[in-house]
Order: sequence, then structure tokens, then C-alpha cells
Amino acid sequence: MIDFQGVSKVYEHNGNDLRAVDQVDLTIQKGEIFGVIGFSGAGKSTLVRLVNLLEVPSEGRVLVNGEDLTRLPKPELRKVRKRIGMIFQHFNLLESKTVRHNVAFPLSIAGTPKKEINKRVEEILDFVGLTDKADQYPDELSGGQKQRVGIARALATSPDILLCDEATSALDPETTKSILKLLRRVRDEYGITILMITHEMNVVREVCDRIAVMESGRVIEQGSIFDLFSNPQHPTTKNFVRTVMENEIPASILEGIEKRGASRHIYRVTFVDESAGQPVLSQIAKKFAVEVNVLFGQITELQGIPFGHLVVELQGEDKEVLKAIDYIQRTVTVQEVKAHAG
Amino acid sequence: MQVDLMEFWPRILQATNETLLMVGISLLAATIIGLPLGISLVVTRSGGLLENKAFFRILNSVVNFFRSIPFIILLVAILPLTRLIVGTSIGTAAAVVPLVIFSAPYIARLVESSLLEVKSGVIEAAEAMGATPWQIIFRVYIPEALSSMVLNLTIATIGLVGASAMAGFVGGGGLGDLAIAYGYQRFETDIMIATVLLLVLIVQITQTIGNILSKRIRRQ
Repeated sequence: MIDFQGVSKVYEHNGNDLRAVDQVDLTIQKGEIFGVIGFSGAGKSTLVRLVNLLEVPSEGRVLVNGEDLTRLPKPELRKVRKRIGMIFQHFNLLESKTVRHNVAFPLSIAGTPKKEINKRVEEILDFVGLTDKADQYPDELSGGQKQRVGIARALATSPDILLCDEATSALDPETTKSILKLLRRVRDEYGITILMITHEMNVVREVCDRIAVMESGRVIEQGSIFDLFSNPQHPTTKNFVRTVMENEIPASILEGIEKRGASRHIYRVTFVDESAGQPVLSQIAKKFAVEVNVLFGQITELQGIPFGHLVVELQGEDKEVLKAIDYIQRTVTVQEVKAHAG
Repeated sequence: MQVDLMEFWPRILQATNETLLMVGISLLAATIIGLPLGISLVVTRSGGLLENKAFFRILNSVVNFFRSIPFIILLVAILPLTRLIVGTSIGTAAAVVPLVIFSAPYIARLVESSLLEVKSGVIEAAEAMGATPWQIIFRVYIPEALSSMVLNLTIATIGLVGASAMAGFVGGGGLGDLAIAYGYQRFETDIMIATVLLLVLIVQITQTIGNILSKRIRRQ
């Protein structure tokens, strides 16, 4: 659907080349919600603008539906842009127009007949749940409502692709959730491919199927949301994962472990999918002569799959503990925790 | 020789008419010229919708050039041009030409600053929707900036009222001329006060109308 092939965007800045986007290869499949996450300045805003050619690539190609938009003459490009909706962090609504007219605007500039516009506007306002706000002005709306208008406006021309530029970054957590839910409905009910960029890990966790992590213009890691969360490779990715999932053992617990001495058996048990539903810890407590003491842990859900880990201390004879570990390793991942290693 | 204010009243009314006429016509003409200039200044600047650095640089300098000439000097400096355009270099019509040349670049700057208030993100959103540059100018820039433009045009109008007072220099008439000719040169304090009060009234009314209009546009 969207294909980045060796794409770079270079700006000249005081005689120096600034590579905002650097040799990016990405493929976004039809109907998926793809997230690009990165800290500010990572180049993700530029990346998303390369899709609808608000930014023109310096190197490489961006194919949208197999078509290289840079080859299109301006009028053709404008036609294609109507098939690519876009929403923004600060909504970018027309302040002088009512909600209804904001949503009608892309249709109106496309020369759609009045009757058709009215019908479509009603339909789409109903979809985003703003029918009762149709005649209000943007400055009378809350942030979440404004973004709903933004989404309605982006969907008015029935696009195949929706680009989201930090669409929830200006919203509070509750509103963010409701907007993400709406975006998921956009994909599920209209089959629209969504490319979103964000710096919020909880956003991608909530809705994305796959994500790419960007740093200094490069994609440093990409994969399914589950892979990246359960097994992040790059330090930046690990940092992002840490923002929503505490992976490190808290200092107070570490201290406690150190005090008790290195002879203790401390393990990190990672649960994935079905294993999260199995009572492995109580099983080993029954089967072997060990006591299980849970020190710390977190279980969450990624893409509907339970995922989490527990840090446990196994008390008992060395032999028994090893046997117990051997036993549960069949269903879960176990790592020994050294007091110093954390 | 004292003048009876009551008897002099028709003369004041006539001068008021002249002022309103000069200001009205100049405002209209200067806006017709200044609006497209202001729009051009915004869209041709670097990063603008129709970026054209050479055009912008020239236009920018020309506007600055005219903005830097004091009105009283402009008034006499362009007498030949005035004669060419309106056929005479004296009278109310003759005052309109320098007033237009004086305020058109000013209005261009005011329009420019109003348009620059429109958030670049809104323009970007329109571009992303596939709007043409013309659609963006007429359906985004202007409606979004209209309320602010009306306020700015109010400022320009009041500036014109002030400048029109100097029109007496070319026999343009108007309240300012009257104040100088009678109030100042002939020590008719009554007339001076009456004309100044009238000017104050005109400015007050203009500003009030501007404020109301601007507010109404914001909330159509």
C-alpha cells in the first residue's frame, strides 16, 4: 500500500546537510495500522509527509498503491491527495467555519455536488459521533471533539489511507483512548490503511499492528507490536518499551536481594500468550520442594495477547530449585537474575 | 474677524463630506491594490504557497520604499502623476491619488500580517486535501484572516483620516484643511475645536464599526 524504498530527505542547513530521513525502507500493508515511533527530531514528521508529498524525497522512492507520486503532474497529485486523508496534532481546522463546513471542505474543493456533500457530511459526522455539534465552531469544542472533526474531514473524501501526525499528542489519556478506538473503527469498518507517527508508546500499543522505531532519521527496528514489546533489541526501543512496561526490577527490591546475599535463587519468568494462563508457579511449588516468593511483576495485554513477567525467588535446596526451573522452562522463559545485573 | 459657528456650519458639513469622500475612495482604491499585494507578499515568500524569491524580494522592497516616504512629501512629489491620472493637481480628486499611493503599501503590509496569522498547519491541511493554490488563497487564507483584516483595515482607515488632513496642501479640502485654514491661520478657535471634535467622532465611529464587523465575521 505504502512502500518506502531507500527514502531520504536531506535539508541544507547553514551549508550542512541535515538528513531528516535517512535511507528508510518500509512497507505498510493494506488495511493495517502501522505506527512509527520516535523521540522528537527523529524524522517521523518528515517521513509521514513524504507519503502525500508535502515533503518531496531527496533520494529513493515512495510508492503509494504502486505509484510514484513524484512522477505525477500537479493536478494528478492533487487528485491522489484526496485519496490520502491526514490528521494533525493541532487539528488544523478552519476556525471561521462550522464543524459541518469543515467536514464539507475537502468535498467542496473537489467540486462534489451540494446534495452529495450534505449526505456524506451527515454520514461521516454520525460515524465520529458529532452530529449534535454540526453547527458549532471549532473553538467551542474540546480537543477530543476537534480531533473527531479532523478525522471526519480526513474521511470525507473516502480515502484509502489515513496519515496521523501525532494525532493524540495534544490530548489527555482518556481522550486519547477514545480517539484511538475511533481510529481502529476507521480501519475495521472502512478498511482504511493507517500510518501513524507518535512519541507515545501507549498509543502504538493500543492500536498498531506493526511498528517501526525511528532515530536520527533511520528506522532502527521494526516488527509486530508483540515482537518489539516482548523482545526489543535496540536501546532506544528498550527505552520506549520501558515507558509503558516496567522491565527493570525496582531499586528497593534489588537492594533487598543484595542484602540477602547471592546465594538466593532469583529468576525472571516471562509469560507469553497461553503460558500466561497456566499456573506454573503453583505447580512447581507442589511438585518440588521449593517455595515461590514473587518479588515483582507485571502482566499486560498486547494486541489481545497476554504478556508479562514476574521476578520470583525460589527458596529451597539448590538441586530442587534447578529441577523446578527445568520443569517450568518448558512453558515459560526463565532467566536468572543476578543481583548486580538487575 | 470672528466667524459665527452657526453660520459657518454648512462649510463644516461640506468639509466633513470631503473628508469622508477622500477617505472612502482612497480606502477602496488602496484596498483593491493593497489586498493582492499583501496576498502576494505571503504566498511568494520563501516556503510560501507559490514561492518566488525574486518576485518577493522586489515587491518587498517596493512596498518598503513607498512606506518610507512621509505623506506630505509624497503629496507634492507625485503632483505630475496626479495630474496624469485625474487631470488636475488640485482639489479633492487630486488628493485621492497620493492618499492611495500612501495607503496601498500600508494596507499590503496589514493584509500580509493578517494572513500570516493563519496557522501554517491549516494551510498544510488544505494542501494535503488536494486544494489548489487559488482555493487555498480564497477559501482558506482570506476567510480565516478576514476578521483580523477588517480590524487592520480599520487601522488603515483611521490613518487615512489623519493623512487626508494634509490634503489641504493641494486644495483637497476636508476637515483638516478647514482646521488649518480657519482654526490655525485665522485663529478661529471655535472652528478648530469643532473640526477636531468631528475628526474624533469619525475615528470613534470607524473603530466601533470595525470592531463590530470583525467580531461578526468571526462568528458568522
